[in-house]
Amino acid sequence: MRQWRRALAISRKDIVSYYGKPPLITWGLMFPGVLLLSIYLKDPGTYLQVSPGIVAMTLLFASTSMSAIVITFEKRAGTFRRLLLAPLHLDTIIAGKTLSAAAYGLATTLILVLALAFLLGLRLSVPGLFALGLLLGAVLFALMGLVASMVVKEVFEAMTLMNFFRFPLLFISGVFMPWAKLPAWLKPLAWLSPLTHIVELLEYGLTGRSHFPSPWLPLGASLGFLVLAAWAAHVTFQRRAYL
Amino acid sequence: MGPANIIEVAGLSKSFGSLKALHNVSFVVRQGEIFGYLGPNGAGKTTTIKILCGLLPRDGGTVRIGGVDIAEDPVAVKQRLGVVPDDSNLYPELTCFRNLDYLGELYGLSRAARRARASELLGIFDLTDKTATPFGALSRGLKRRLTIAAALVHAPEILFLDEPTTGLDVPSAKALRALIQRINRQDKVTVFLTTHNLFEAEDLCQYVQIIHQGQALAAGTAQAIRQRVTGRKTLEVTFDGPVPDDWWQAPGYRGRPPVPVNGRWRLETAGQELHQVLTFLLARAAAAGVKIIDLEAGGANLEEAFLAILQEQRPGQEENP
Repeated sequence: MRQWRRALAISRKDIVSYYGKPPLITWGLMFPGVLLLSIYLKDPGTYLQVSPGIVAMTLLFASTSMSAIVITFEKRAGTFRRLLLAPLHLDTIIAGKTLSAAAYGLATTLILVLALAFLLGLRLSVPGLFALGLLLGAVLFALMGLVASMVVKEVFEAMTLMNFFRFPLLFISGVFMPWAKLPAWLKPLAWLSPLTHIVELLEYGLTGRSHFPSPWLPLGASLGFLVLAAWAAHVTFQRRAYL
Repeated sequence: MGPANIIEVAGLSKSFGSLKALHNVSFVVRQGEIFGYLGPNGAGKTTTIKILCGLLPRDGGTVRIGGVDIAEDPVAVKQRLGVVPDDSNLYPELTCFRNLDYLGELYGLSRAARRARASELLGIFDLTDKTATPFGALSRGLKRRLTIAAALVHAPEILFLDEPTTGLDVPSAKALRALIQRINRQDKVTVFLTTHNLFEAEDLCQYVQIIHQGQALAAGTAQAIRQRVTGRKTLEVTFDGPVPDDWWQAPGYRGRPPVPVNGRWRLETAGQELHQVLTFLLARAAAAGVKIIDLEAGGANLEEAFLAILQEQRPGQEENP
């Protein structure tokens, strides 16, 4: 319990220090706003078809960027060592950093979802599942960003590394093209992408149907990826946090 | 019965690849003392502190802090430690007050306790008027003070200070040394101080350990270490004109080769040979056609002892001026 309180303290501090800053708030508003506008202008009749992918992409970029950048920045500034000197388990630090990055990802994505709902009439068929998809995605992507932050030293390296796997994920995960329409040779790869399963969960939440036979499949896969990412973050922190 | 040992280090070893950073280092620190850990750059001081604070795993040996091995229960041990790294690394965007408040949260203090403590520390460190100033906007000296205050926010039993006065001007360094003494005496905090400022060590430390190239060379009170070189004298001589670099290489010179320091020559010799050395100096000045315009003689201080001990370890090498 004590460690959880300390994780929340880390999270609160990060939100106030980093996420409440004007450039990040601007980024959080501009990114989804421009995406929304471009999709709508392209085809006002079909924008809802790609909205799960766009929402998931916003979540991916916001959550991974912030966790990777914040830790890399703190490592450079020497302030990350403050956390290592404090009576904290490494998992407490991971939890604190993940919570704040996930909160930023969720806040950014919610702006997009609210704009879609109020401006373009988006309706959720299964709101609970949609919310669960957002929550799982935010935590999962934040953890992926944490892993990246541990293997680089500079902020620009963190961004390069993140883009190295984010863009291929966009390509194979049904973000711009529904999973069912992907070429046959790409579909097995899409199964291995956590983004695919988040997109499918959001699709279920929005439309009540999906390309997968049951919502349990992407839900189970997302939970599996979440456990895998948490384990990867734990191992990477153990090996590299003190370097 | 004397104070208990609060830090016990035995046979500590650490290597980075083929480099032996620490080799079989042992020492104890008693509760309530200021312990000086001295050595030149690269001696292994920071490596030792990192191991003691749980930032670095050791290769061999034992480290017990308050009877507990930090490798076995790092969270419990870290709760008892306050650490001031060699750089002032608080959060630049947070105010002085919020920095202390946040660190209090990380150490598990209640909201009321940490706020009271933050205000108290800002007062002790004469930073009350900087309460709402971001850490990044402070001067170097004030940053150092707040960094030490931050290490004390949870009232630790042991305070690690890594080169605390490096980069500070003389008044700031003096004020900081007074604060360290105050913390040690009033709050009964054990202080583990690394420094290569020997004046600082002599001024502050009750017990001193000298480390060089990862090995412990000597330990004891500053007085005991000085006594190792009792009878050694230093002379600093200034000529009124240039002299050849090898002026001293003539029959009759006794002692170690002198070293030029800021236009003066620094000589070290045994006390009983002082008369011969002075006679030699006068003769060499006359031979070189120069006059001695200043001469200072002194007994061995901790610095001399430190240099002498280092020289014993590397007799073939020249001292660094």
